[in-house]
Amino acid sequence: MADPIIREALVSALRKILDAQFILSTQEQLKPFECDGLSVYKALPMVAVLPGSVGEVQEIVRLCHRLKVPLVTRGAGTGLSAGAKPDPDGLLLVMTRLSNILDINSATQTARLQPGVRNLAISEAVKQHGLFYAPDPSSQIACSIGGNIAENAGGVHCLKYGLTVHNVLQVSGFTMAGDPITIGNGGLDNAGLNLLPLIIGSEGMLMVVTEITVKLLPLPNQVEVILAAFDSIEKAGQAVSNIIAQGVIPGGLEMMDNNAIRAAEDDAQAGYPRDAAAILLIEIDGSPVNVSEQLQSTHKVLQDSGVSSVKIAKTDAEKALFWKGRKSAFPAVGRLSPDYYCMDGTIPRKSLAEVLGYIHTLSEQYGFPVANVFHAGDGNLHPLILFDANQPGQLESVEAMGAKILEKCIEVGGTITGEHGVGLEKIRQMPLQFSDEEINQFHGIKAALDPDNLLNPGKNIPLLKHCQEYRALAKNLRPNQLLIQHEATA
Amino acid sequence: MQDNAHILQDQVQQAITEQQPLSIRGGNSKAFYGFTVQENVLDTTGHSGIIEYEPTELVLRARAGTPLSEIEALLEQHQQMLGCEPPYFSPTATLGGVVAAGLSGPSRPYRASIQDTVLGCTILNGQAQILGFGGKVMKNVAGYDVSRLMAGSMGCLGIILDVTLKVIPSSKAEKTFVFSIEPEQSLAFINDLRKRGLPLSASCHLSGQLMVRFSAGIKEIAGLENRLTEHYSFIDWIESDDQAFWDNLREHKLPFFDQASTLWRLSLPADADISALADNPEDVLTEWGGCLHWLKTTKPAGEIFKHAAANNGQATLFRYPLKEPPVSIFQPLEPPLAQWHKTLKAAFDPLSIFNPGKMYAKTE
Repeated sequence: MADPIIREALVSALRKILDAQFILSTQEQLKPFECDGLSVYKALPMVAVLPGSVGEVQEIVRLCHRLKVPLVTRGAGTGLSAGAKPDPDGLLLVMTRLSNILDINSATQTARLQPGVRNLAISEAVKQHGLFYAPDPSSQIACSIGGNIAENAGGVHCLKYGLTVHNVLQVSGFTMAGDPITIGNGGLDNAGLNLLPLIIGSEGMLMVVTEITVKLLPLPNQVEVILAAFDSIEKAGQAVSNIIAQGVIPGGLEMMDNNAIRAAEDDAQAGYPRDAAAILLIEIDGSPVNVSEQLQSTHKVLQDSGVSSVKIAKTDAEKALFWKGRKSAFPAVGRLSPDYYCMDGTIPRKSLAEVLGYIHTLSEQYGFPVANVFHAGDGNLHPLILFDANQPGQLESVEAMGAKILEKCIEVGGTITGEHGVGLEKIRQMPLQFSDEEINQFHGIKAALDPDNLLNPGKNIPLLKHCQEYRALAKNLRPNQLLIQHEATA
Repeated sequence: MQDNAHILQDQVQQAITEQQPLSIRGGNSKAFYGFTVQENVLDTTGHSGIIEYEPTELVLRARAGTPLSEIEALLEQHQQMLGCEPPYFSPTATLGGVVAAGLSGPSRPYRASIQDTVLGCTILNGQAQILGFGGKVMKNVAGYDVSRLMAGSMGCLGIILDVTLKVIPSSKAEKTFVFSIEPEQSLAFINDLRKRGLPLSASCHLSGQLMVRFSAGIKEIAGLENRLTEHYSFIDWIESDDQAFWDNLREHKLPFFDQASTLWRLSLPADADISALADNPEDVLTEWGGCLHWLKTTKPAGEIFKHAAANNGQATLFRYPLKEPPVSIFQPLEPPLAQWHKTLKAAFDPLSIFNPGKMYAKTE
């Protein structure tokens, strides 16, 4: 529990900075902010504030620095790794009121944004200029660009158009001391060290971001969506590699297995074949001539890869329907079972079939169905392990199974997290991917930019003293903490 | 092809023991870039060889000393390429030097920058530790993104031992057209080309002419002339058969880049105007759809840095007559950012062993 004296001192000082209605300090007021999209990690912050101006943010940051109060920045709260879980002894800085699109420049094809602007709102606002913002996480209707910066958000289209880190030119905000700082500029190169990639994906641990300049892209002239069905997961996985190998980079390349297909079809009636072992959704975009060439070559590759059936969406409505099935897959799978456990490993594409086969074997061995929904083009897996947490022993078994999947991802040359971030959720897997020296270098970076360790402390990078313990636990297949997601959004 | 990581590690350990700073050198192709570091040379060229190349994964991993030419030749065999088209500046250029210099070529706005191309790397830090970051997959958000931080770090944070790169399929066809158009109309014209879905892969404006390269499939490139005629009959344009132009631009072998002049590189928003800095229009060459300007001028550095900052961009003194060593080469940093450079440098290289003063006076 937060020290009431410190809380009172903090609230009293905050009242001089912003209107009392934007300072939340009672249990009832704080309850909605106790967690992000990963609700098993909860804590009430000492106080939460909703600043309405950049000046207020600066004063709040300075106050926290002066009082040595930990500061956790929160965007829309859609994160899936507990990166925005409040610190019980800290202040939660909620950026949702800073939601203005400051400028859209159609000549430079850039937009200047406050951190609370929703991801989808960017593309909606710039559509009139024939432009769009490429990174599109599944939670894009709700998630904010500030949170996208914190997590280096990806999405369906990042295979072709890159992640957040590839689509941001400049971020401005404050160091933990409250000094204004700007990283990047309006051009395409940094001055000095290339710090944008360090800040993007740093999970709010290095600075507080109050303004972002993003790159925009011209909307493609033509978009086609292919629905390809396969009678085995291995064939579908091989088809993914074959498509890339022939030199086509689709706008999107997504895969679902039979459990996910049936769940999505029940939910969205997207026209998916219920009996297929796997489907691929392939989006080809570009100029009409290019799209036509790539459609033909992709069709041939699918035939050569043993596809069972191929449908090309004929109308915009059908294209939207194909995608609706994919986008509703998570909540649809959620209805199959009381609980599910969501993973976010990434693997080399060539290992897709192997890892999917491995997950299938584990599923039979442990007796838990698995629905696979993922960004196949990037090798970013989201296996959903279905279980019932109310049944004694199930949770422990699911934890062990999940650990095996993540270890397999590392074994084949992948990573424990492709786009959800480490946060608190995967902090115990970090020592499986990194050595003590590497983790120590991460701590060195943190200390260089936030010497008092006040920004989002305890997330992302495990303490060295825990690393050996986590590695030992992993060997005994009991490394994972509870991960239950009821309403996952990505 | 040889793994010399532990030899390099021993050399760094010795430098730490003796507190003797090192000047890191690969192919020595870009020695002109940045301040000269007068310290013992640590040569990375012996640490060479392509470690892994998976065409279907679009991933290549090679040691720092691997010649860029070897990498590009292998990629070409598989109809693949580096999206950032990095400049060599000498046939001896190595992968480590390319990444450390952080320079991207003509295709940068349309395909990728060098930092976009980096997926992972192994480095030797200033405590002689061998550390690996990133990986060989496209999406990876575990820990801080140290790999991309190394791109453009000029060897000031550590020695790059190997790099994993994202590669892209090469275009099946390319064609260049030359449009007679003034610089102030170029941006709107380029934006119009892009909105029509025309597959730009490079642009260069010089002396009233805009060269545009298009790269795509064979059918699309074959149909380009008809599409241009359809939309831009009011502009004088011709098809160019000078395919070497882009290589010469990238390598600064065009007549514009006479080695005698002081050459500035300005990275600015596409709509910035630099005419005030140029004594005459022929002293400016503009690439990257208006985002990169090469400027020949003898104007004082302070004036150029000020103009770049006022336009929310940055300037670099790229080449200068050797007899007049400059005071500043890179855009001066605001105090909090300069402070971060110092503390980050100390976090990687606490004894300041690597390339001291290469970017900013003894802080990097």
